[in-house]
Amino acid sequence: MEDLTLVLRRTAKEILEKGEAQMVIGWEKGAFWYSSTSAFISKPEDTERLIWDEYCVNNLAKYLLDYRHKEGKVAVFVKGCDSRALNVLLQDKQLKREKILIIGLACPGMKDEVEARKLGRGSSIPLYKKCRECRYPNALNYDFFIGEDKVIKEIPAQDDFSEVQALESLSPDEKYNKFVANYERCLRCYACRNICPACNCRECIFDRTASGWSSKANNVSENMFFALTRALHVAGRCVGCGECERACPVNIPIMLLNKKIIQDINALFGEYEAGTDVTAKLPLGGFEFTDPEEFM
Amino acid sequence: MLVAQKAKLREILNALSEEYQVAVPVQREGTSAFELYRDGIEVMFNGNTSISPKGMFFPQTEKMYGFKTVKNTTEFVSLPVEQGKRLLFGVRSCDMKSLDCLDQVFLTKGYIDEFYKQKRERTVIVALGCNEPGETCFCASLGLDPQKAAGADVHAYDLGEVIGFEAVTEAGQKVLDLLKNHLREQQFALPPVGEFYLKPEVAGVPEKLKGMFESPLWEEIARKCLNCGACTYVCPTCHCFDISQDVRGEKGIKYRCWDSCMFGEYTQMAGGHNPRPTKKERVRNRFMHKLNYFPERYNMLLCTGCGRCLDVCPVKMDITSIIQQIKEAK
Repeated sequence: MEDLTLVLRRTAKEILEKGEAQMVIGWEKGAFWYSSTSAFISKPEDTERLIWDEYCVNNLAKYLLDYRHKEGKVAVFVKGCDSRALNVLLQDKQLKREKILIIGLACPGMKDEVEARKLGRGSSIPLYKKCRECRYPNALNYDFFIGEDKVIKEIPAQDDFSEVQALESLSPDEKYNKFVANYERCLRCYACRNICPACNCRECIFDRTASGWSSKANNVSENMFFALTRALHVAGRCVGCGECERACPVNIPIMLLNKKIIQDINALFGEYEAGTDVTAKLPLGGFEFTDPEEFM
Repeated sequence: MLVAQKAKLREILNALSEEYQVAVPVQREGTSAFELYRDGIEVMFNGNTSISPKGMFFPQTEKMYGFKTVKNTTEFVSLPVEQGKRLLFGVRSCDMKSLDCLDQVFLTKGYIDEFYKQKRERTVIVALGCNEPGETCFCASLGLDPQKAAGADVHAYDLGEVIGFEAVTEAGQKVLDLLKNHLREQQFALPPVGEFYLKPEVAGVPEKLKGMFESPLWEEIARKCLNCGACTYVCPTCHCFDISQDVRGEKGIKYRCWDSCMFGEYTQMAGGHNPRPTKKERVRNRFMHKLNYFPERYNMLLCTGCGRCLDVCPVKMDITSIIQQIKEAK
């Protein structure tokens, strides 16, 4: 990956020098050896800050929304998950494809920084669970690709819904207690929402507390109202990047709910993998006469 | 120094529970916070809690008063207030300093916040010294002593197999008097404090910021920020709140709850104007408040070096690096 860092820098530098984009969004090193963070480069000489290592977990697609009304193009580096997120933003018509220069990467899976801090430098650091389960490590939609276009990570044959199924097997009371335990510690900081590429509403209902729809009070009922509303709102558009769960400061297993919905959509409307095909119709974005309607 | 075997902590906390409502740092579900002590609960000794103890004095959601409609008028209904002495065990230096900051806000300059005052006055604090700083800690750079928390009633020290206790205040002495059957006198030297990884140099920063409101730095710093409230909610010193109400029929409750300057709604005005419309203004406000406005008003930083914001930020906004960038800015 160190070699690719140099290619990455050279590419970004060329893009800026030739004026192909006004800005390049990539990653740079943070305060610790196990932290890499988003970087916004607009001067060719600053491209030296860019890196590509096994801690570039931060999904960059969402940042493109900040520049959608600005003049000129923005270039962005994308891994598989960033790429799927970007596709969803395109499907949602939040971005114009011609305003983005996409540079694809093959991702080996990112290392879990919480584990890295615990285990220390030099030890073998496991990948994030979401990366171990990832089936699309490589960018899917790009203007050009950096590195050899090959599988550099073991790809599971199918999505793992075992945790969802374990949850489904519980009694209603057990399920409820589990949800209460998870969401009573929610701080309502909205980190999950703000990092989520599928959460791209211009205005979020949870930013309109004066309306009375939801309250700022922190209690299990309001917290679950937030969590369930968000889960249903990203249904069919959640790309499984797991950034919500990584961003959560109190370790709520947010993806459990998202995965349950992905599993249900697959069962009800046919197999669908969000963000893998930018031309696909969203499973909940329309209807077919053959759709199940058991509740009618 | 008075000491007790660490293995006897349970007996000590049980004894204290007879006199006080005791809260201790506890690890749970991959996170940690102060919780009410129950017999047998395991006290967390390694590092500080992910959630600061500020909620013990300034809860995230706090009912203020009730009201009801009676014919054509509104009557106020006072709500029950929790009474009784409380004891916090295991507060670290950074979080003690944050109580100093909160005291300034809620108890000085001619304004007393009764909700805060009532909780503060009925709470005795046993601070726990840090020997090994966490990776995101930088309290020493802000002039704090990680082993001796200023403002605590009792200093407790983690001495390996034993815990050392020193009373600092009269209230603290009362706590140790209660424990005299559990403690014995023994000489112990405090272990040296480990090396800090982060060492921001904050000298001169508050003064320099005075002329930096229009600096292009803010736009650059703000680019990566998501404007979520994680940093402000885990911060032991952030103290902004919003007042809201829950009305059901003829009755209602006024409550206050934490708010965050990172949120767009925070400065949204009734007419629709928002004086802090983008990330840039919000991020600028957060760091200006911590490093300039607060020092100007109260002569202390609104940061205690606890490092929680660095720890939770999903995009690794880093106040120590921002301090450095402010220093380097032209």
